[in-house]
Amino acid sequence: MKKDKLTQEFKTERERKVLGHLVFTSPKYKLWVAFLILIIIFGMFGYYRQLRYGLEVTAMRDYTSWGIYISNFVFFVAISLVGSLISSILKLNKNDWARPLTRISEMIAVAAIICAAVIIIVDMGRPDRFFFVITHLRIQSPIIWDVIIISTYLTISLLLLFISLLPDIAVCRDKLTAIPKWKKFMYRVLAINWKNSDVQIAKLRKVTTILAITVLPVAFAIHTVTSWLFATTWRPGWDSTNLGPYFVSGAFMAGAAVIIFAMYLLRIHLNLKEYITNRHFDKMGRLLVLLSLVYLYFNINEYLGPAFKMVGVEGEHIIELFTGKYAPMYWLVQVGGLILPIIFLIFRPFRRPLPIFIISFFVILGAWFKRFLIVIPSLQHPYLPIQGVDESYLHYNPTWEEWAITMASFAWLLLIITVLIKLFPVIPVHDKIENKEEVEPKSLKNEAS
Amino acid sequence: MENKDKINSSRRKFIKNLSSGTALAVTGLGLYSLSSCTSSSDEENTTVLTPEGKLVQVPKSTMKEMAYEPVSPEESRQGIPGKKWVMVVDLGKCKNARKCIDACDHHHQLTPDRPYIKVLEMKDNEKSAPYWMPKKCFQCDNPPCVKVCPVGATYKRTDGIVLIDNERCIGCRFCMAACPYSARVFNWGEPPVAGDHEHYSPETSVPSKIGTVGKCDFCPDMLRQNKLPHCVVKCPNGVIYFGDENDDTVTNGDETVRLSTLLRDKAGYRYMEELGTKPRVYYLPPVDRMFPFEKNTEENSES
Amino acid sequence: MKLPKYINTTISRLSILLIIVYLNSSFMYGQDSMEDASITVTFSEEDGVKTLIAAATDQEGLPIEDLELYFYVKRTFSLLPIGDPFNSTDENGIIEMEFANDLPGDTEGNLEIVIKLFESDLYNDMTVEVTKDWGIPIIIEDPKSEKRSLWSAAANAPLTLIVLITSMIAAVWYIICYIIFTLFKISRIKD
Repeated sequence: MKKDKLTQEFKTERERKVLGHLVFTSPKYKLWVAFLILIIIFGMFGYYRQLRYGLEVTAMRDYTSWGIYISNFVFFVAISLVGSLISSILKLNKNDWARPLTRISEMIAVAAIICAAVIIIVDMGRPDRFFFVITHLRIQSPIIWDVIIISTYLTISLLLLFISLLPDIAVCRDKLTAIPKWKKFMYRVLAINWKNSDVQIAKLRKVTTILAITVLPVAFAIHTVTSWLFATTWRPGWDSTNLGPYFVSGAFMAGAAVIIFAMYLLRIHLNLKEYITNRHFDKMGRLLVLLSLVYLYFNINEYLGPAFKMVGVEGEHIIELFTGKYAPMYWLVQVGGLILPIIFLIFRPFRRPLPIFIISFFVILGAWFKRFLIVIPSLQHPYLPIQGVDESYLHYNPTWEEWAITMASFAWLLLIITVLIKLFPVIPVHDKIENKEEVEPKSLKNEAS
Repeated sequence: MENKDKINSSRRKFIKNLSSGTALAVTGLGLYSLSSCTSSSDEENTTVLTPEGKLVQVPKSTMKEMAYEPVSPEESRQGIPGKKWVMVVDLGKCKNARKCIDACDHHHQLTPDRPYIKVLEMKDNEKSAPYWMPKKCFQCDNPPCVKVCPVGATYKRTDGIVLIDNERCIGCRFCMAACPYSARVFNWGEPPVAGDHEHYSPETSVPSKIGTVGKCDFCPDMLRQNKLPHCVVKCPNGVIYFGDENDDTVTNGDETVRLSTLLRDKAGYRYMEELGTKPRVYYLPPVDRMFPFEKNTEENSES
Repeated sequence: MKLPKYINTTISRLSILLIIVYLNSSFMYGQDSMEDASITVTFSEEDGVKTLIAAATDQEGLPIEDLELYFYVKRTFSLLPIGDPFNSTDENGIIEMEFANDLPGDTEGNLEIVIKLFESDLYNDMTVEVTKDWGIPIIIEDPKSEKRSLWSAAANAPLTLIVLITSMIAAVWYIICYIIFTLFKISRIKD
């Protein structure tokens, strides 16, 4: 006896576009998830080797005692700030064009913070003692401040995501029929009795505003505290008073690029051309230029002082970045990841979807390698000379285990985002919170194609 | 003819007497040396308290020295009362003999890639001469490593020593990033451990544990037994002086001097004083060198 | 008296032996003929100047001249030499040594002064130990008490830091809890 095939009907075009993929699983999706899981399995094998033999399997040694795990951690914390950028800054600024992007930015923020926490545990020499951070904590340590602020930011980001999702979960609960039982149950529970009543709407609106204001200082704090992991030490390149603003501005820039990247992919794969329009790319491109200019300003500040003075190991560090071992990477990152994007994005033709997607990709790549350049070269120039050690101590070339685990962390990030997109509508279905009517797809005439 | 005989007989007599006298002398000496041996090794007695509460005299040879039991991690957080340990390194005497490194590596069961002591070839500027500088943990009074430890695995004691509890260390390596003197080493892999050690003590730093950090600890287990740390004892050139700042005295095993006098007369300084970490190790400038500088290319290649 | 020849040689041998034995004992061991000196220590303090007076007398009570004595103070690992490197008694058998004013002692200011006599040709080695409260009393920090600082144990963090962080966390988490509570209320609204 065959089961009755459940049918799904959508009333409006918008609903069909936004909710369609929640019900129907395309083969593309399955392939993508399988690919991500493959990378994760490979990374897990690398981590198994690390658990078994210790951190010896990495390329980290007594001088370069922090490696790409830490630079990856900084990168993830950086892109998690995108949540506050879109949900808080742009929303409070009444930039309504950004509203379709709030959901995806929150999803990225939540996924990035979770992966940041995971990668930090991977970096620990004794992950079996992770709970000591709670039971034996020392409030004087910057790591403890980081732990506190990350958990706080994760909670707030989850709340922000949930609150913006709430009316749409109710829609899913009500409108989606052709879904398995567990999904129906999930929507019903998560919708917490949302009935679209005026009282509920009023309360939710108040809560959204409060949260939008609260997340801003927390977002600034999270990346500033992460920068204090470096600024509280005596290392060339780290011993800088500029490190907090430098990190935060870099985070906003990298986050904006990640949003553009995600926007483009969603637009293509979920067929959301009417909702993520060329106008969105244009505006995000301009925002990216602004944030990159701020980041460029802090970059100049960060390097001009030490380069002018050339004090001892600071001087050696600057030489190594500008003309030495790391020069190719440094200039590729600064020029290809920062300066050229600014120049290109000033011109309108480059702010179209495909060009800006490519440029954002390079910005993200530049941002990842910039964090590498922040963490590793400084450790290779301690005050006391490195002598009498194995040749391998002088260079840091990450081993395959480290790369596998890093790739796996990216795969985790993408997997979490993919699953969230599959479960929840990524574009708001209803805009009742902002008291706007359902928006029909804009006519294509208005857009410059 | 008669004279010749007389001469011969007297000569013979003389030789006889001389030889017998020598034999007697040797016998006499022998007897005396034997007697002196026995007289100097009089059975030494020592007083002990019996379980019944009586004081009795027991020959020392029957006593066995009790093996020293190092203190537990909780007890090691208290310092040795009334002491404030300080070290002075005389750079004028260091010849890079590396006996301190050998002794330290042996006592703490270290491998050559994880030395607690490093002897560095330093050259202050282009025109001055190079010199050897033994560097260990400076046990700073304003320790950056202790400030940043998230779980309190490293701690500063009242006797000035900064110790590491390898049963609490989570291996985050923030202390390694924070130390400006690169004093700490990490157990990246499984450290080889000799012997059976049921009780780990931060005061001996033995056995090392994988995924934790280690550094020079001023050998508190020796200090509790009123013995000098291993590097001080084993240095053949008397480079390292060690003592109690409260006593105002430091010794290198042979020479005992007042700390204040030594630092004043020989212009003792602390390495990178301007960082404000307040190290407890002083250096005496490499003037009036006892040995010419010889580069040992095998161990100390300039990286 | 003419002794028989063999007795002559025996006597000469025996006498040689006895001479050698006597010389042996007096040159190599001296224990029998070396004396015990006796050293008495007195202290005097005038105008803030501390002087240690050591008087050496032999067994008959006569002062010993030109005797080298070595003065030390007991320290943690070894003996700290004080005064001049070489001190010899004068014709009255007395050494007057100026004692430093700034030697740290124990908590009460006691110092253990050690006077050694060794490598003397005429007198046996001896050590005299005297305790005197001429040291500066030191203050011992209670190992259990710890001042609040950034590098102290978790329980002794600086108060400012604790207050600042706790208040900031409390403020943010209060807001979070309020929001969760509001969500809860939303779920309870009955139309």
